[in-house]
Amino acid sequence: MIAFWISAAGLSAAAGALVLRSAARAGATQGVSPDLDAHKRQLGEIDRLAEGGLLDEAEHRAARAEAGRRLLAAADTAETWTRDGAGPRRLAVAVAAVAPLLAVAAYVFIGSPGFSDQPFARRVAEWRATDPAQLDPPRIAAVLETLAAQRPNDAEPLKHLALARSASGDLAGAEQALRRAVRLAPGRADLWTGLGETFVAQANGQVTGDAQVAFREALKIDPTSLSARYHLGRGKIGDGDLAGGLADWRALTADLPAGDPRRGAMNREIAQVEAAGGIPAPEAAPEQSAQVQGMIAGMVDGLAARLASSPDDPDGWVRLVRAYAVLGEVAKRDAAMASATRRYADQPKVLAALRQAAQTPPQQQTAPGGDRQ
Amino acid sequence: MIVELGAFALILALVMSVAQSGLSAVAGALRLPMLAGAGRGAAVATFGATGIAFACLIWAFVTSDFSVANVAANSHTDKPLLFKVAGAWGSHEGSMLLWCVVLTGYGAAMALFGSTLPPRLRAYAVAVQGALGVMFLAYTVLASNPMTRLTEVPIEGRSLNPLLQDWALAVHPPFLYAGYVGFSVVYSLAMAALIDGRIDAAWARWVRPWTLAAWSLLTIGITLGAFWAYYELGWGGWWFWDPVENASFMPWLIGAALLHSAIVMEKRGALPGWTAFLALAAFTFSMLGAFLVRSGVLTSVHAFAVDPTRGVLLLIMMGIAAGAGFLLFALRAPALNSGGLFAPVSRESAIVLNNIVLSTATATVLLGTLYPLIREAIDGEAVSVGPPFFNLTFTPLMVLALAILPAGPLLAWKRGDASAVMRRLWVALAAAALLGLVAYAVVTPRKALASAGVALGFWLIGGALAELAERLKFLRAPMAEVWRRATGLPRGAWGTTLAHAGMGVFVLGASFETAWRVEQAQALSLGQSFKLGAYQLTLTDVGAVEGPNYLAERGIVSITDKAGRLVCTAQPERRFYPTGGQTTTEVHICPKGLDDLYIVLGERRAGAGGKPAWLVRGYVNPWVRLIFLGPLLMAIGGAVSLSDRRLRLGVGRKASEARA
Repeated sequence: MIAFWISAAGLSAAAGALVLRSAARAGATQGVSPDLDAHKRQLGEIDRLAEGGLLDEAEHRAARAEAGRRLLAAADTAETWTRDGAGPRRLAVAVAAVAPLLAVAAYVFIGSPGFSDQPFARRVAEWRATDPAQLDPPRIAAVLETLAAQRPNDAEPLKHLALARSASGDLAGAEQALRRAVRLAPGRADLWTGLGETFVAQANGQVTGDAQVAFREALKIDPTSLSARYHLGRGKIGDGDLAGGLADWRALTADLPAGDPRRGAMNREIAQVEAAGGIPAPEAAPEQSAQVQGMIAGMVDGLAARLASSPDDPDGWVRLVRAYAVLGEVAKRDAAMASATRRYADQPKVLAALRQAAQTPPQQQTAPGGDRQ
Repeated sequence: MIVELGAFALILALVMSVAQSGLSAVAGALRLPMLAGAGRGAAVATFGATGIAFACLIWAFVTSDFSVANVAANSHTDKPLLFKVAGAWGSHEGSMLLWCVVLTGYGAAMALFGSTLPPRLRAYAVAVQGALGVMFLAYTVLASNPMTRLTEVPIEGRSLNPLLQDWALAVHPPFLYAGYVGFSVVYSLAMAALIDGRIDAAWARWVRPWTLAAWSLLTIGITLGAFWAYYELGWGGWWFWDPVENASFMPWLIGAALLHSAIVMEKRGALPGWTAFLALAAFTFSMLGAFLVRSGVLTSVHAFAVDPTRGVLLLIMMGIAAGAGFLLFALRAPALNSGGLFAPVSRESAIVLNNIVLSTATATVLLGTLYPLIREAIDGEAVSVGPPFFNLTFTPLMVLALAILPAGPLLAWKRGDASAVMRRLWVALAAAALLGLVAYAVVTPRKALASAGVALGFWLIGGALAELAERLKFLRAPMAEVWRRATGLPRGAWGTTLAHAGMGVFVLGASFETAWRVEQAQALSLGQSFKLGAYQLTLTDVGAVEGPNYLAERGIVSITDKAGRLVCTAQPERRFYPTGGQTTTEVHICPKGLDDLYIVLGERRAGAGGKPAWLVRGYVNPWVRLIFLGPLLMAIGGAVSLSDRRLRLGVGRKASEARA
């Protein structure tokens, strides 16, 4: 704020100084008549052209006579400017002083005084420093983008970025992140199913050709992948192969453990499809909260990685412990707590904050059906 | 702080431009040198403050500061740096600020380098330029402020239209505005002379360099725009008679007329009223262009997102500037000296003819551009005026002007000898006719009009060279003498030759490209091919690629000639920009000498047997490079003329002192 007003004052002073300096110099030099000068130069040029043989004799004479007549006419009307008195000087000084004041007054009305710059990099750094649980998906996505840029050979941040982007409604961006991720780690089935699911979401629940390719890749790596098997079955039904798709689904249901709630869900869906003779209604949107959990996990991973490389950050450790507590990851929480306690054994304030963070209650885990992987 | 400093600097610029205008006007009226100096100082300060404001806006774009409404609406963090910078003038508000930067920049240039102008003319001109600055800066600050802040700062920006994310379009507006707004200086000089009541040969000499600079920059700006349309829009064409293209073309035509009439004014003192009229008209057409592009009264591919209130304000500003100009002209013109006399056959007459044709051509373009508006106002019917209208009206007029062009520079001032001129041009004429006939006989299909166009192009180039040869006494004097004459020839003469030959080069390219373009489109699956003229196009592969802020399908199209040799492997793309959800085509151009092989990848569709197929369009554009080379030569010609010591600003006094 102070820096702004100092700069604004400097700018105003410079403008005023320009006016005064230029006025002072103009007052000092007067008396030449450039008007006549232009005509004299023209005469000189005509002569030069004639010397170079570029004008013949008759043309030269005619042109010279005409230019000479114009010179004489101009000399008759040549201006004489009077010297300035004290009035003009006072006016110039007044203008140089008042104009910047007017500008300041107008700025206070029109501008946004006190509004600071908000460059993107600084905002992301601020978000990164806050508790991930308090951020909405688009902000988490922005943070994860910088994280992914910092770790260009790691597929993990990209995976979380994709989750954050789909939670923000940016499915195309999620697809882009997952495409990069599978290029970095083509052997990870979860990335391929994630990519497939993004295609399905973009196509409003239809298992498109691109999606099927992705799910088949996943199945090649992990033949037990539930999401891939589920969607490929769904794809078959969508393509008209009702019997084949339902057979796949039944096999999938049979492979689920006995007490798994997803068993019931599958059986219900099989019954619905059989009754309708095809896919009845668009698939329900994936559970938002599960995705948010995933994104938070991604940010926490980023925080943990940062603390592993540059551990001298007491606030960071407190946030990490709290985040693990919120996520219900007890083992990780205790491990982080142990390293932080060792590090800050002589700082009771930090230790108190850490203990408080560790006692944060875990958030409710939502709908198990949200996680199909 | 930086953004707010920019906002403050913009307001300071507005206040300083008021000071510039007021101080200079008082100084001119009362003949007070000190106040004139103060006005000039204010002009420099105005430019400095506007420039700082613009730099702050660019800073906001580069750092993606989405608390600035303009940045949030037109930028995105994914964008490459060049397009972040160019985003600063990619929107209405930012480009108005660029307009102001150029306007005040010319004002400062006039204040700093105008020491050879008579003091009164200079003071009035700086005052008028300042008044224009007040108008445009006030509009920018109050109605289109690019520094407006948002209290709810969005997380991401909405990004710039992907069609505009292109290097040619990134540099196109600065050139275009440097040209458009350059005519403001000419306007101010004309206003100053009319207020002063004196327009003479010396005045024309001061007008010419500004006109040359503005016109050359505008030529480059328009050519870049046409080049962009050619390779970015993917329609194979380069000029569509679109209202926005016309808006930039009309000041160019008037500027060309003014360039020529100012020569007559300078050499002979004739046509003072007409030259002043053109000087006022050139900037009026520039403002008309700004109004058409920004008000939304006409629909166009290039128009800004617009708002009628701003359109009305722009119309009022244009009305004030043009109204004041032409009113003053009506009051003062009858008193102007008519200047030197000339015979019907003379260089003056040739230039008058050139001016009449250029003005009439401008009027036809104006009519074609505004007709849809007039028609809608009369009977509410929406019509569009397309190339057929312009081909029937504008083209014949220009053909007439171009046909007599080579004779103009060969005619003597005052009283010319037509038969002597024809004796000097018959070689060029015969060569042009012969080459036209050759084109008719050799190029298939046979097209008489296009062949005539080819002959016209060669006639212009030949005529320009014949005029140069005449001046140098080429083949008629020993080589040493020719060399001596060549080195003594004013740069302005070289500039004339280059510009006139450039026009011929353009006509050649335009005739060839329009008449003999080959075009073919077909849906191809992988491995399929089709014939395009003498070439065979095969779609060998399509793959996905990822750009900084887009995903793309890239086709690999092998192009082979009749003998089966690989000529070029084209890689056209179809890009998808997720941020705005837009799709664009990225044309691949294989240059073949002066020709272009122009390949476009269309959308994917289901082909035979369920295999995916892509619509591939191919064009062979013969001699298309000349279309862009010609105007470039014209602009270079303008620059060469501008470097002529006779027109150089500020050096005149030293030269005369050296002689004295």
